[in-house]
Amino acid sequence: MFFHIELERNIQLHPRHFGPRLKEKLKQKLMRDVEGTCSGRHGFVVAITHFDDFGKGLIREGTGFVTFPVRYRCVIFRPFKNEVLEAVVTLVNKMGFFAEAGPVQIFVSNHLIPDDMEFQPGDMPNYTTSDKSVKIQKDSEVRLKIIGTRVDATEIFCIGTIKDDFLGVINDPGAAS
Amino acid sequence: MSLEPYRRLVKLVARAFYDDLLLKGENQTKTGRGDNRGMAVVVLDALTKREWVREEDLAKVLKLHSKQLRRTLRHFEEEKLVSRDHRRESAKGGKTYNAAIAAAGDGQQVVKEGEEKTKMHTHSYCCLDYSQIYDVVRYRMHRMKKKLKDELDNRNTIQEYICPNCERRYSAFDALRLISMKDDSFHCEKCDGELVAESDKLAAEEMGDADDNARRRRREKLKDMLQKIEVQLKPLMDQLSRVKDLPAPEFGSLQEWEAANAKAGRASNGDSDVGDSSKTSQGQGYGGTPMPFLGETKVEVALSGVEVKEEDSKPSAANTSLKVIPPWMIKQGMKLTGEQRGEAKHESMMDNSLELTRPIDDKKPEVDDDEKNIQDAFVKAYYTALAERQREQEGATREMQNEDGHNMMPSIISNGVSAAPSDRRVGMKSKREDDGDDDIEWEEALPSGSTVGTTKLHDLNVQAEESGDDEDEIDWEEG
Repeated sequence: MFFHIELERNIQLHPRHFGPRLKEKLKQKLMRDVEGTCSGRHGFVVAITHFDDFGKGLIREGTGFVTFPVRYRCVIFRPFKNEVLEAVVTLVNKMGFFAEAGPVQIFVSNHLIPDDMEFQPGDMPNYTTSDKSVKIQKDSEVRLKIIGTRVDATEIFCIGTIKDDFLGVINDPGAAS
Repeated sequence: MSLEPYRRLVKLVARAFYDDLLLKGENQTKTGRGDNRGMAVVVLDALTKREWVREEDLAKVLKLHSKQLRRTLRHFEEEKLVSRDHRRESAKGGKTYNAAIAAAGDGQQVVKEGEEKTKMHTHSYCCLDYSQIYDVVRYRMHRMKKKLKDELDNRNTIQEYICPNCERRYSAFDALRLISMKDDSFHCEKCDGELVAESDKLAAEEMGDADDNARRRRREKLKDMLQKIEVQLKPLMDQLSRVKDLPAPEFGSLQEWEAANAKAGRASNGDSDVGDSSKTSQGQGYGGTPMPFLGETKVEVALSGVEVKEEDSKPSAANTSLKVIPPWMIKQGMKLTGEQRGEAKHESMMDNSLELTRPIDDKKPEVDDDEKNIQDAFVKAYYTALAERQREQEGATREMQNEDGHNMMPSIISNGVSAAPSDRRVGMKSKREDDGDDDIEWEEALPSGSTVGTTKLHDLNVQAEESGDDEDEIDWEEG
């Protein structure tokens, strides 16, 4: 699920950036630092939308770096249990498959794949139904439901299932080619 | 009004879910007569035949202690099957109820002797809330299934993996760290052994440790239970789907119901004020016990009429006479109609129509007399028909013989002649018997009082008992 929230952060800026474009530099540094990271508390920071203001900088002794408290608003992505996501399959093995929904990695174990789908080893390992009409392989797009999340300080990992109504492959690259 | 399917629903529900309901008194622990299982079924059945009923009266009719009854009803109220109303009322207040009850009946007014007292008493009334019952039952079934299914599914939502070498356990959350580049299985972080999914391990070695084994057995049990639910509650499900599009019978609140029925009663009696105490003498011949189920006679008749209408699409011979004929009549009566389409059929039809007007669940002694009459009439008709038939058949055989002069033919032909109608007869008979059986079964299940309380349906009985077992083990959540 996506959120738009306001966050605060201290940015350290090298003294060489001090000058008329200080604000621009701060903004760039903030984007580099924050976008694409993950905090267990909030989730994945997708993009910064507003750079509101920054307070008075504090020169750190010894280094000359200045720390600015910065407030910004950003879009956050955080997966939740029972959330339904669309994801791209990245890896298929006999234990299940891994998929990515944007920044988040999701593992679907073979017990959570419908019983009628079987693992087919080979150079393009995949899960296929007995009538070969549905195939899950690398780069397939699947709709899955998250049944569990593990949230660490810096990463979020999810376990998903496609063993439910309306879940499964939504676009099969093999069928298109 | 679509009362009958709803009644059937309530009866099925009673037997499925409340058959072995044990209601214990709060502080009394007498076990001797404390076994009131099956009482819930009796009470519910009795309620299907009534609309609003005063609980004391119901207790009297069912020959139950009013406390016992109240406890049962309170339970049903909690289960949202029954709506209850309590009010303090004087004799006069009671009279409006009596008037309503009487109006719901055949317009006879029934009054209790003791009600001339002017003391205020708190009376409780109860009534089945059919539309709510429908919802409650559906919800209950949904919850039952959902609970089982959830438990079945959750069993391996988060897959666990075990390293067979060092017994280290991993969960699917660690999957990202466990994949190795060498092959496509998971490897232990410590000893690099290949991990096995926990359930696979279980399947592989039958004698897993006790905990796992128990879990697997539990899973089997759940599956089994789910299947059992499907099978055993099928009649209930069918009835639910049958009832789905029918409007539920609504009696409204006690006041509304009273008002409506009193109005109806006034209209039919041509009486201006029913509540007046001086005009209460009409129904005194009825011994003072209100007989609310009298009111149902009307409904019953209307219903059977409806059913007949529905069955008009069926072959004409099978109409009108369905449902009400006692079993002895069905068989022989069919022979008549199948064999001879003359007066005998007519007569049986007449009998049937006679029967039709009679309320089915009315088990009062006077019925016996009528039944005897009918029986006599029928026997007479049957013998004449039999004699006639024999004559006819003989005549036919003789004719055939004369015509052909062949020795073999007549027997064949006569066989053919008698076979054709008898074939038909058999088919129709069985069909009718089916219907009849069905009906009779149900009628037997309508206990008009406590005497029939222990009578149970065979099929329902089985189902109810077993689903009762289920209930014991699962402890359903309600609400």
